[in-house]
Amino acid sequence: MADKLLHITGLRASVEEQEILHGVDLTVNRGETHVIMGPNGAGKSTLGNVLMGNPAYRVTGGSVIFAGEELLRKTVDERARAGLFMSFQNPLEVPGISLENFIRTAVEQRTGQRIRLWDFRKSLRRMLDVLQMDESYASRDLNVGFSGGEKKKAEILQLLMLAPSLAILDETDSGLDVDAVRTVSRGIEEFKKEKASSLIVITHSAAILSMLDVDRVHVLVDGRIAAEGGAELIDEIERDGFARFDTREA
Amino acid sequence: MAGEKTIVADVDRSFYDFRYEEKDAFRVAEGLTPAIVEQISREKNDPDWMRAFRLRSLEIYNRSVMPDWGPSIEGLDMENIVTYVRPNTRMSAAWEDVPEDIKSTFERLGIPQAERESLAGVGAQYDSELVYHNVREEVAAQGVVYTDLESALRGPYADVIRERFMKLVPPTDHKFAALHGAVWSGGSFVYVPPGVEVEIPLQSYFRLNAPGAGQFEHTLIIVDEGARLHFIEGCSAPKYNVANLHAGCVELYVGKNALLRYSTIENWSKNMYNLNTKRAKVEAGGKVEWVSGSFGSHVSYLYPMSVLAGRGARAEFTGVTFAGAGQNLDTGCKIVHNAPDTSSYVNTRSISKSGGVSTFRSAVVVTERAENSKSAVSCQSLMIDSDSRSDTIPAMDIRTDKADVGHEAKIGRISGDAVFYLMSRGISEEEARALIVSGFAENVSKELPLEYAVEMNNLIRIEMKGAIG
Amino acid sequence: MITVNKPLANTFGWLHGNGTQIEAPASTEEITLTAAAGEERIVALPDSPSARITVSVAENAVLRLIQVRRGGDGGVCDIHVDCAENAHFEWYRVVLGGAASYDNCSVTLRGDGSSFLTELGFRLGGDERYDVNCEAIHLGKKTRSDIHAAGVLRDRAFKILRGTIDLRRGCAGSVGSEMEDVLLMDETVRNQSIPVILCGEEDVEGNHGATIGRLDEELVYYLASRGVSREQVYEIMAQAKLNAVISRIPDEETRLLLTENGAEGETI
Repeated sequence: MADKLLHITGLRASVEEQEILHGVDLTVNRGETHVIMGPNGAGKSTLGNVLMGNPAYRVTGGSVIFAGEELLRKTVDERARAGLFMSFQNPLEVPGISLENFIRTAVEQRTGQRIRLWDFRKSLRRMLDVLQMDESYASRDLNVGFSGGEKKKAEILQLLMLAPSLAILDETDSGLDVDAVRTVSRGIEEFKKEKASSLIVITHSAAILSMLDVDRVHVLVDGRIAAEGGAELIDEIERDGFARFDTREA
Repeated sequence: MAGEKTIVADVDRSFYDFRYEEKDAFRVAEGLTPAIVEQISREKNDPDWMRAFRLRSLEIYNRSVMPDWGPSIEGLDMENIVTYVRPNTRMSAAWEDVPEDIKSTFERLGIPQAERESLAGVGAQYDSELVYHNVREEVAAQGVVYTDLESALRGPYADVIRERFMKLVPPTDHKFAALHGAVWSGGSFVYVPPGVEVEIPLQSYFRLNAPGAGQFEHTLIIVDEGARLHFIEGCSAPKYNVANLHAGCVELYVGKNALLRYSTIENWSKNMYNLNTKRAKVEAGGKVEWVSGSFGSHVSYLYPMSVLAGRGARAEFTGVTFAGAGQNLDTGCKIVHNAPDTSSYVNTRSISKSGGVSTFRSAVVVTERAENSKSAVSCQSLMIDSDSRSDTIPAMDIRTDKADVGHEAKIGRISGDAVFYLMSRGISEEEARALIVSGFAENVSKELPLEYAVEMNNLIRIEMKGAIG
Repeated sequence: MITVNKPLANTFGWLHGNGTQIEAPASTEEITLTAAAGEERIVALPDSPSARITVSVAENAVLRLIQVRRGGDGGVCDIHVDCAENAHFEWYRVVLGGAASYDNCSVTLRGDGSSFLTELGFRLGGDERYDVNCEAIHLGKKTRSDIHAAGVLRDRAFKILRGTIDLRRGCAGSVGSEMEDVLLMDETVRNQSIPVILCGEEDVEGNHGATIGRLDEELVYYLASRGVSREQVYEIMAQAKLNAVISRIPDEETRLLLTENGAEGETI
């Protein structure tokens, strides 16, 4: 039976006094995989950032219940500790702090208890292995000098280590080489091994979706959900684009 | 339309370097004594408080020390400076009434023409006194006051002036502020009432004609709540082989949500000691924009200061300094963030050539009160040859954690590749270098009304071409 | 009273721009360091309160000087370095507190092709004061200086860094660069930065950049999105700034010592 993890109603949000989301409704149950598609500028990334609590966006209306609690009242780190994760399109570079040390700090924050270094290294090594990433990644400074593909891989590594209940992957597949796409899909596969894990994939292309078992597709156009359906919507959009959903031109 | 202006392509230095025989009606003796200060005060028919203020300033002058940093001012001997020279005329509001030689001076500088075409009002000072002052009727009808400071001291704004005169720049600020307080003469008073937007600029032009003289004009501008003004200041002088001194003072009061742009093209002759002090106080939501081109003078000390006193007040400083042969120009700015949410943006360029010395000197202070303030300073310097010097001496003093302060500076030379590229398109080397330097100074020229931008580019051209071949 | 850290150029004569007046330290160690032609040396000096260090680096030699101040009363450290042709000098300085510390490092790049690198890291709290002057005097042709400083201030700590790149006439082809990054963590701290470039030669490049204040909001958001609280983001970044300097120290023993002494913090 349906177990609501995320329940968005009437969500409106602005950036620099301009409203981008004009009332979005969306529900994700535990264990489901959702896809949000839409043309550039439709508000897809805004939705992800608003859920994560990016201070650059201002929520002007609506509510978001996540794991039974109002998400919008929480600070960014509280949302993460409540089990939300978002992969960044452009992860920031942080000199002086290694990827390994950062993940360990974040995991300890999430679980609220210290982990023995040996235990932590063991599980980190396992995940690096799953992603077929070289162990040397772990000791490099967080995102510093990483290529675009390496940054995406480091995001997926953090996803696996933090084991959130809902992961939002924002355009994680865009501009990646074959090798990186493979890493990302391996990561998603590993993440979904936990049956209750939910996933929202935000994308404007269908490439990465072929290897996902998609439960529900939402088409976001001009800050509103223009259509919803099953995986069959993906093929339709692949074929016909978004024109049919764009009510502004109707 | 701006595009119809003709560009004077072949200006040389003599454009500014002409002089008329002195026919002044009155001048005080050289040097500085209480008797001379009292004489100036009498001559100017000061109110009593002003006479007392002058004498007190003289005392402060006598006990303050010369600055121990910055360019040498040893060549300046106050014993030889004539502090007050009254031209042989009284101020008039019609160019016809201005004596022929003085009128012709301003004609050659293009002032009456600019007034007809693009200014809302003009003040013209010759040596120690204003000889012309006029403001367009429609501007005056909005309640805008633009007059000489002397008559304002005896008019309806007397109390307003008394409350603010040398309050931003007190005579105790430094030795030359004290000197100014003692012997100031001329300058302008501007008042823009709340909400009034003056759409075209007002301009004051300062011309120092008498050799060995000092000019000490005082500019006091009040832009009231929500009002807007663009004020332009120009200055020049013929070259003499004795030192001249300019120790003016500018005090700007920018009200709540008001905007004041203060533009200066300074082209004093190269025997001038330019020890000028400019300061603005900006209230909540207000903004001061300084646009400053420093081309002339033998020695300059010039650091317009903005005090951001109200929440959300802003300051912008855009400057260019060109130091050529025989010049030591020490310029920059000071910004004090003393209220929350204030911001400042500084963008300067300096050019050093033919033994010229240019120094960018600045200070950004963010006090405990200025939380959520931002400041960005960027300065670039261009060395044209190795006979010259270019120094960058910025200081930042941050006393709150809730601030974002950034600073960047670069020193370099004209890229050989760029010269080669332009030459490959048929431009002479001399022209190519002049073009590149003009482009380098574009941060300022693009902020100026067209005719001033043209004047500035001409000054750059003169300086650049002087040296090659 | 003596004046320490008197800079090559003054700023308006205020903001401590003319140097700092202090009592002369009672006992100052005299240290002479040399690297012979072609030699490569790493010298990690013990943490002594006050020292006057004279360094001379011969042709094609490299000398890397490592100094850590771990707190205490502070002191005065005055370093004068002379670099011959193609000589390279590096100064690694980590300051983990000290009631009142004064460092002066003046490097003369006399020989053509000589170079100088500073990695300066500081972490100050309480009422600690740190006053540092670092200058590179470029005399030789094709000389290079890099001054990097990063650190954190909290409580009522005061720090002033005067970094001067002095490109003298004749040092054609030289490059001087200075970067400073200071994180302020309490509203009672005071930071002063005076990054000076003096230039008397046309064929040179000089750059400096400084970022002072709080953390970039985007960065705070990114780290917080992984579940780290705002306060802890600041802690992590404070540590990261110091680690970035420590990790470049070319001496494993010093690095380990700094790690063991808690310079690298608990969780990170």
